[in-house]
Amino acid sequence: MVVRVRVRNAETGATVDMELELDNTVEEIIDGVSAYWEKDPGAYVIRKGRRLLRGQQKVQELDMQPNEELELIPDPEGGNR
Amino acid sequence: MDMESVQLRRCLMVGAGALGNEVLKCLVLSGFRDITVVDMDEIVPSNLSRCLFFREEDVGRAPKAQVLAERASSLDSAVTIRPVVSRIQDAEDWDFDIVLGCLDNISARLHVNSHARYHGAPYVDGATDGLSGKVHTVLRDGPCLQCAMNRSHFKVLERRFSCTGRDTVFYQPKMAAEITTTSVIAAVQVREAVKILSGAEPIRHLMHYDGFSGSSHILELERDPGCSNHLLP
Repeated sequence: MVVRVRVRNAETGATVDMELELDNTVEEIIDGVSAYWEKDPGAYVIRKGRRLLRGQQKVQELDMQPNEELELIPDPEGGNR
Repeated sequence: MDMESVQLRRCLMVGAGALGNEVLKCLVLSGFRDITVVDMDEIVPSNLSRCLFFREEDVGRAPKAQVLAERASSLDSAVTIRPVVSRIQDAEDWDFDIVLGCLDNISARLHVNSHARYHGAPYVDGATDGLSGKVHTVLRDGPCLQCAMNRSHFKVLERRFSCTGRDTVFYQPKMAAEITTTSVIAAVQVREAVKILSGAEPIRHLMHYDGFSGSSHILELERDPGCSNHLLP
């Protein structure tokens, strides 16, 4: 079964629609959209509403609703420079 | 807030750079009286534009932790600030009531995360990148920093953005600390530390801040069942 998922780029506001298998993981979504948007190497996370998704979570666990979006957020790692 | 209790607690602050300067200012002015500061670096000229307590004459004079402890102590004669010039990976004392992370790399964060959790100390981690930032509260019963990480974090795990270049494994220039973002994140970190030590409900579990839009989001996180930090009871 294929699930259509929309992901928003928090830095630009751009969106992309992905067709995913139920056993695709959040990490695979991050890899896919990072490559699509040619993101700089770095740490990224995905949120669904108020929930930060774990990398190993599968699409079938996300309980995506129609028109619901995921959002790709850069995960800051600085602070000591 | 229970400020009498806060004054009695031992606080560990890891990292004495831009975020560490702001956090220590807030800690002292919030009433913390027993603070240990760990950092291995020396002060370089680029620190001066974003570190409240550093001066030109400090460049090359003494390590960051030592200068920071000296200068912040002048804010309140009742505070004791112990500088430890060391990598956090070499620190042995973990007998603290709360830990604040002001670090610049994932490797050190994971070390503090696991040690604070093992020793039962709440951990409040701060991070910035340009106009965005994050505060993550790690409590004994909740998900930890590692639970929030994924493959993208581990790809950059060994990067080291040291000012001096010491221990640099892989270097890629990033945006330098932006002081207004640093101030926001530091203030939230110390506020959460005071709440935790006062028995109030802290952020669960992360606050992401976006300075471009002026917005912030509280994000909930679940424990990762595969996270090694939660295998111990």
